Amino acid sequence: MILLWRLYKRWRRRQAAAAEQPAALPAVEGPGGTRPTGHPLPKLLVASLKMLVRDRRTMIFALAVPILFTVIFGVQDFNGVDHVKLIVIRPAHATAFAQEIATGLQHDSAFRVTLVVDLAAAQKQLDKGKTDAVVVIPAAPHHALVAYYKPDSSNLDFADSSLNRFVDAANLRLAGISSPQLHLAERAVEATDTNYYDFLLPGLVAMAVMNLSIIGVAIGVTRFREQQILRRMLATPLAPSKFLLAQITTRLLVSLVQAGIILGLGAGAFGGHIHGDPVWVFLFVVLGNLVFVNIGFTIAGRAKNVDSAQALAQLVTLPMLFLSGVFFQTSGALGQIVKVLPLSPLVTGMRKITLDGDSITKVGPQLGVLAAWVVLSFLIARRNFRFDDGGERRAESRLSLRSLLPSRPS
Amino acid sequence: MTSAAVEVDDLVKVFPAPGGEELRAVDGVTFTVGVGEIFGILGPNGAGKTTTLEIVEGLREPTSGRTAVLGLDSRRDRAAMKERIGVQLQASAYFDNLTLTEILDLFGSFYPQAFPPAELLDRVGLLEKHRARIKELSGGQAHRFSIVAALVNDPEVVFLDEPTTGLDPQARRNLWDVVRSIQAQGKTVVMTTHYMEEAEELCDRVAIVDHGRLRALDTPIRLINALPDAYRIVFTSERPLDRGELAALPGVNDVRVSLNGAASYELAVAQAQQPLEAFIAWAARNGVVAGDLRVLPATLEDVFLSLTGRALRD
Repeated sequence: MILLWRLYKRWRRRQAAAAEQPAALPAVEGPGGTRPTGHPLPKLLVASLKMLVRDRRTMIFALAVPILFTVIFGVQDFNGVDHVKLIVIRPAHATAFAQEIATGLQHDSAFRVTLVVDLAAAQKQLDKGKTDAVVVIPAAPHHALVAYYKPDSSNLDFADSSLNRFVDAANLRLAGISSPQLHLAERAVEATDTNYYDFLLPGLVAMAVMNLSIIGVAIGVTRFREQQILRRMLATPLAPSKFLLAQITTRLLVSLVQAGIILGLGAGAFGGHIHGDPVWVFLFVVLGNLVFVNIGFTIAGRAKNVDSAQALAQLVTLPMLFLSGVFFQTSGALGQIVKVLPLSPLVTGMRKITLDGDSITKVGPQLGVLAAWVVLSFLIARRNFRFDDGGERRAESRLSLRSLLPSRPS
Repeated sequence: MTSAAVEVDDLVKVFPAPGGEELRAVDGVTFTVGVGEIFGILGPNGAGKTTTLEIVEGLREPTSGRTAVLGLDSRRDRAAMKERIGVQLQASAYFDNLTLTEILDLFGSFYPQAFPPAELLDRVGLLEKHRARIKELSGGQAHRFSIVAALVNDPEVVFLDEPTTGLDPQARRNLWDVVRSIQAQGKTVVMTTHYMEEAEELCDRVAIVDHGRLRALDTPIRLINALPDAYRIVFTSERPLDRGELAALPGVNDVRVSLNGAASYELAVAQAQQPLEAFIAWAARNGVVAGDLRVLPATLEDVFLSLTGRALRD
């Protein structure tokens, strides 16, 4: 992160220096008249990409926020706690027996031990949750080793079983049994090694793609309309479809970069796991992106201005963000309903690949729902988005339920 | 085929207005623009100037009537027409996040033939700004850029919609030079404006529109000369004068008095010499000292006033 920040700073400095220094003026080759031009599409693609990458708001939504989430969740430890914090109270006058028990606790790898003598202070620590248990060591044998817990402690089971194991082992040792006849060997049987971070990564990819395309297109295209840029384009011989194609293609490219950065950063720098073939993740990203671009154009077609476009986009994206399983699975009847939202099959499909290591053949249902959404959202967008309405429709533009239904193209 | 650059024939555009009524934004407008003219459409805001232009440019569908550019129908031959026209909508109608060079390069690529961006920028004195964004330009620079961006394809007919609105007088004159340079290259310019001095200064012919209707169409000089009162005798006086006596002078058709500071008087006259002689003789007889005495020609503002009964910028 620091490295990235430094690179950014250096880039800013260079930009500032370039702005101050009058760069060499481009040569004007006399009154040369017009030159033949090439096909417009390559230039249109490059220009659209430049516009997108230079648009700070889009880049914050589309890249900075998801990367920040990837990093923030990446530095959290979701592998669970692997030790028990203990405060150990020694008897006021030390005995050899008590010393042996204390040493045993300190050498047990399951415990992080703090030795004190004041029980009241230790219990205060327990109350505040600074320790998992407080253990009072007896001065002599045949007295209880008293352990104080908080019953709602998150680490209670682990603390309890670890202390039980310790007492059993200590008894054996005290009884002089060095090689017990029976011991327990535990083997965790989990198909794959996953944690919450692995669960989260595909969700973050989905969030990034959704923000880029729904919020990005809704705001970006509405701004084009507000500034009369769409109409200005219409005054040229360029087919509007080519302009739209460039807009969509550049967003596809950026969304693939988003997915690459999030998965690469998550797996490469923060120990996330990707079990399946990432190629299929990118396939999902492309499909999801198409749906979201269509939704973005629908909003741009109905919004009166940039503010209302942003509000509508948030209205569509926020519920999906929390209901469609980016951060947690939605359960119950609601979980069944939200399964049909376009973000759900995207997240679920990508998770089946990255978490369960599924191949593309096993995510048929998710692909199917997503493909249906691509078609449906395209029809809705076609009904609602006009490249230029000459300002005639704006007075009555509001988002009504009927307007969302696809109809025969006019 | 025809030699006209632009033809507008009985054009009507009706918008649905709130409350089920309709707004006749353009109400039966007919005119023809000759090749090489600077043609001005003059009228107040909401007169239908922009709507007319947009229908001619093929950006809007008319309710009825027909428009054509260079003999190409605005609807049927739209694609072919677009290659031969240049359109300026308003100063900010370009991409925020591209440099001037990048915008011109991009727009040029939409046409089969285009000028190199540097050549275009040089024409309007913006070469030094070739790496700037629109928002880094001054108002005048942004307007000049939006005009030159309409010239990328070396168009034969250039449409400028209120090219100088919001500019200071210096920047406006600067822009007039740009428009004249377009004409000097043999192009036709069709522009809208609500500045009468701009139309008077710049346009070969002016169409005066109001409420969607064409009120008059001629050269600025002829429009002014057609007024019953083509001149005004203007002066100030320290002591109040009798309106009736002034009105009774031979050749004086109307007397206007405005009282800011010293009283200022305007005598509306058809031609200047006889009333002026009469006024000077009258002033000498009555010991009136006429300060700041001038004879001014009427302006398009007066033409508009006499045609519509109200001032242009009401």
